[in-house]
Amino acid sequence: MPELRKDPIIGRWVIISTERAKRPNDFKVLHPEEEEGVCPFCEGHEKDTLPEVFSIRKKGSKKNASGWDVRVVPSISQKLSVNGVVDRRGVGMYDVMDPVGAHEVIIESPKHYADIYELPRPQIELVIKASVNRIIELGKNVDLKYCLLFKNHGLRAGGSKTSKHIRSQIIATPVTPTRVKEELRGSRFYYKFKDRCIFCDLSRQELEEKKRVIMETRHMLAIAPYASRFPFEIWILPKKHCSDFVDIRKEEIKDLALVFKTVLRKLSTALNDPPYNYMLHTAPFRHAERPGYWNTIKEDYHWHIEITPRITEVAGFEWGSGFYINPMPPEDAAKYLREI
Amino acid sequence: MSQLRRDPITGRWIIVDITNPKRPEDFDLKPQVKKGGACPFCAGSEKMTPPEVDAVRNRRSKPDTPGWSVRTVPNKFPALRIEGDLEKRGIGLYDMTNGVGAHEVIIETPDHGKDMADLTQDELENVILQYRARSLDLEKDERFRYILIFKNHGASAGASLEHTHTQLVALPIVPKRVKEELKGSTNYFNYRERCVFCDMIAQEKQDRLRVIRENKDFISFCPFVPRFAFETWILPKAHDQNFKSIDNKKAASLAAILKDTLSRLKIALKDPPYNFIIHTAPVRDSINEEFHWHIEIMPKLTNVAGFEWGSGFYINPTSPELAAKYLREV
Repeated sequence: MPELRKDPIIGRWVIISTERAKRPNDFKVLHPEEEEGVCPFCEGHEKDTLPEVFSIRKKGSKKNASGWDVRVVPSISQKLSVNGVVDRRGVGMYDVMDPVGAHEVIIESPKHYADIYELPRPQIELVIKASVNRIIELGKNVDLKYCLLFKNHGLRAGGSKTSKHIRSQIIATPVTPTRVKEELRGSRFYYKFKDRCIFCDLSRQELEEKKRVIMETRHMLAIAPYASRFPFEIWILPKKHCSDFVDIRKEEIKDLALVFKTVLRKLSTALNDPPYNYMLHTAPFRHAERPGYWNTIKEDYHWHIEITPRITEVAGFEWGSGFYINPMPPEDAAKYLREI
Repeated sequence: MSQLRRDPITGRWIIVDITNPKRPEDFDLKPQVKKGGACPFCAGSEKMTPPEVDAVRNRRSKPDTPGWSVRTVPNKFPALRIEGDLEKRGIGLYDMTNGVGAHEVIIETPDHGKDMADLTQDELENVILQYRARSLDLEKDERFRYILIFKNHGASAGASLEHTHTQLVALPIVPKRVKEELKGSTNYFNYRERCVFCDMIAQEKQDRLRVIRENKDFISFCPFVPRFAFETWILPKAHDQNFKSIDNKKAASLAAILKDTLSRLKIALKDPPYNFIIHTAPVRDSINEEFHWHIEIMPKLTNVAGFEWGSGFYINPTSPELAAKYLREV
């Protein structure tokens, strides 16, 4: 019998079809010859990108020249721009505004690596530090309400055709996106009801049941969530309650780098380098102390990272219902990833 | 230059490129190629599917034999099972229920070579009437709260069999997307005492920028806030919250505009993969004036990436004004 499971945070239902359950081998990804062009992200090609907005570099090296470890540049295809004024207006019954915001690319290594597990751990730590730095910096702009850090790995996950060079992206928006609001509202609702953070409760239950735990370190936890939308979906959470990613502590950065490296290596081995997205879910920028304006967020929200492999097609059913069909029970996925 | 637009129903935002849009030829368009081979949905293969639950057939033909023009069968690999009582329970923090529901396949034609766009208006009308018949039948089951009718065309839109077919899923709960839409339109109604979709039709008819086609009972247009390039909606012009109440005359009008829309998409975008979804009110709900049933057609020309998944904020490279212009002119 298939099982319908409900995500406790936002109330999304998932059908876990235990009968159609598949083994990882059924999902193995094929890679036809993929040709790449000249890579603008490699060391030595700094002039091929827009001028950098931030970098971690070796002493004595110059901006937009070689000698960097992590480099952040504005996206060449940016749809949002920091120049401009927030100008919300109506067009008949519709609402529009100018594209105020930011779109940046974090180049995660000067070398042409394609996946994060290939990087040495200290390098991943630098990437995390650079991300924190950019989010703090963008948060100073009072026009911006939210900042999403994400990665598109592989073509089907929206990755680029021209270069696989390892990078993640940041998009900052002048409104809080609907998906984010849902999650924030869901966690606030739970907090009002129980006086506890739902993510802390969830981590406790996972650590007790052990069935869906993929990896645990002193400060971090990686699980296959109970209501996984996708086969091999993975969440990474800090064990200690914290709503905002920018408040991540030194020792947590170290652990997060280790978890990233380990978990993504496991995923890549299990599914033969599958396309995936990961997204940071963190508290929105809080500039105004307006009533009801995420004032309780420090207590009721908990930052985390969601990794979603793109190995099944999202079809009409999912689009129409917001209801997902997952042929891989998360307990099996976790077991497989633990053991590989 | 791009513009941010907010959907008046769900409050979802999109970023749409106004000055440097993608035109049909800018997408990586690969026409769907049918491989043929043994197909359980073809005439003569009736024994390869579970026994049919309904069909439009010749008077003299028997169930599960040739002689049909539309045929509904249970899905061989159902996501949900029709047997059993609904059993809801909690496991610590988590909630679950067993997978009770119906999952049916409506085979739109016995002809393997045809797409939905190739069906004649009469054939399409029969398909629509079959949707209605199945909705009316399934809603009698007290366990079901929502009936979702959708179509996946092309492998990258999730179609696992190439023979054209629609799917129907009856669910024991009202799904989240539907709830969001109902909530949004109810909010609008409470504020204005008008249906948001009726207002939208009025504005589209006035602006004329995004309308593709109109007939006596229906209108097709590219919505002001499309998530996907060339997204197209079809709405009944007269207010009605339920698809299942469509009468025979209107079914004929719907067949005409659906054929028109799918043919235009097929020509303009070289037979793109798409999903189409009928948005209708839940079963046994008191929703009435607030909601307006409609069809959303979403071509899948680009990959949905991390930003969209994480934010529910969509980046659309083609403005609906431009898309509608292309679709009007093909």
